[in-house]
Amino acid sequence: MIDARGLVLGYRERVVLRDVTFALHAHELVAIVGPNGSGKSTLLRALGGTLTPQAGSVAIDGTPSHALDGDERARRVAFVPAEEHADDDVLVREAVELGRFPHRPWWQWGAQPEDTPLVDAALARLYLEPFAERRIATLSSGERQRVWLAAALAQGAPTLLLDEPTSHLDLAGAYAALDTLHALAEDGAAIAVVLHDLNLAGSSADRLVLVGDGTVLADGPVSDVFRSDLLTRAYGAEIAVHHTNDGALVAVPSRRTRGERR
Amino acid sequence: MPLTSRRGVGVLLLCAALVASLAVGLGVGAVALDPRTVLAALAHPHGTDAASVLVWTLRLPRVLSGTLVGAALALSGTMLQGMLRNPLGDPYLTGGSAGAALTIAVAIALGVPPPAYAALAFAAALGTTVGVASLARSGRGLSPERLILAGVAVSSLFAGLTTLVIMLAPNTTISLTILAWLGGSLAGHGWRDVGWAALYAAGGALVAASVVPALNAIRLGDVRARALGVDLDRTRWLVLIASSLLTAAAVSVSGVIGFVGLIVPHAVRALVGADTRWSVPASLPAGACMVVLADTVARTAAPPIELPLGVLLSVVGVPVFVMIAFRRSTA
Repeated sequence: MIDARGLVLGYRERVVLRDVTFALHAHELVAIVGPNGSGKSTLLRALGGTLTPQAGSVAIDGTPSHALDGDERARRVAFVPAEEHADDDVLVREAVELGRFPHRPWWQWGAQPEDTPLVDAALARLYLEPFAERRIATLSSGERQRVWLAAALAQGAPTLLLDEPTSHLDLAGAYAALDTLHALAEDGAAIAVVLHDLNLAGSSADRLVLVGDGTVLADGPVSDVFRSDLLTRAYGAEIAVHHTNDGALVAVPSRRTRGERR
Repeated sequence: MPLTSRRGVGVLLLCAALVASLAVGLGVGAVALDPRTVLAALAHPHGTDAASVLVWTLRLPRVLSGTLVGAALALSGTMLQGMLRNPLGDPYLTGGSAGAALTIAVAIALGVPPPAYAALAFAAALGTTVGVASLARSGRGLSPERLILAGVAVSSLFAGLTTLVIMLAPNTTISLTILAWLGGSLAGHGWRDVGWAALYAAGGALVAASVVPALNAIRLGDVRARALGVDLDRTRWLVLIASSLLTAAAVSVSGVIGFVGLIVPHAVRALVGADTRWSVPASLPAGACMVVLADTVARTAAPPIELPLGVLLSVVGVPVFVMIAFRRSTA
């Protein structure tokens, strides 16, 4: 679905990440984790084709991303940015319907006959039917996150990239959102999601990508990446990994070094 | 009532209001004509009776130029507000109409004949808009904030220069002509003026129509719009070009008429919602109706003089605008 090789990513002269090689396949849910400012969102933007790498290449479904025009890219990859202000008067149904935008030629204003069932299904999958005609400004931030996810589903792209989709969700809401993503991956989607919460990532993703020190420090099954030594290196503070009784992994910064983070 | 039917009713209401305002505009004046006489006169373009002559040579070109000016200004304002994502968007905010106004003031001072106004206004509106957009360009493309800043700065400069032209005009008659024109008026227009301006307005409307869906996506935010495949810079340039064509059409026919481009988009959104696929088309009858009605008041309220249309629209428009804004903020 997405195949990135030898990426160097940054803005103007500032290099954020180098030596990044990453592949995302159908049927998997990959969580990208790492400390603040480590370049998780930068990596996601490059994978989605909205940030041009300074070196290296990103192929989307086998086509170099720079060779795709906006519509073609958006039919293959749905990108959900972290919180960005949308106009207050956008209605929930309008926002989800805009997911169909890249499927219409420019002279086509209205919804196509095939759009309506897709929009309805996306609304239903995220339990948004009761909100369909509400202005998004009247929703809670958690409900709004579900709207953006529904819009990405309506977009119908086989690859989904999400930047911190759970940042405003409470504990149960965040795990429920990841369950939804997991179900989508089981249905065949390729999903990469940037997460802040290590424990959420560790318990929900099929694969972890740990970003730190200006590169990808580790990429593999959760049990291979969710290790005290790797996390300690990435976060610059001693982090212990515990196993709970039901087998989940929990990362906790050690009390001793909490104040010493560099 | 379901959303789509609510919007449909809103558009129908606006179209009905336009038809009613046209009927009023054709019937009311120094000689009042009842609707039946107006209809009979409309059916006889070459009739020689007083009513046919009055309708076909005076009132019809006048209400049609009002329709054109109102529709063009409202469409331009709706597109700019959508593109800038700023409720103050208006042809006056991006400098286009200030440029057109200055150019025509100079043309009047130099004695250029009126038929050249539309072409001059278009060249000036487009030139100013492109100039403003070039000032506003930064490394990351065309930013709305910088566009507004540059537009306001250039508009003030041109307004100052226009005042200078009035003061330096060869004689008082010319100064007064420029002033009357700046006050905005639909007086004394024949078919030819309307035809030329209609051509520019139609061009502007076509360009506008091509970016309406992209404007809808921009309402979700710049990053989301790009992720959906919208080319932000291309969309912004096309809106600026459409707005220049529409502003030129309006300014060349009626002089400077403020406020329609600012207030109508707000009223229309209150009625049919903010989805650009509804608000953009609905702005056409709304703007037209507003200008035709205001012009009818301007030419009949205080005979034998005509009130300046632009001034009248501001005096009536501001309180209405404040009322709408207040109601929306408390709702």
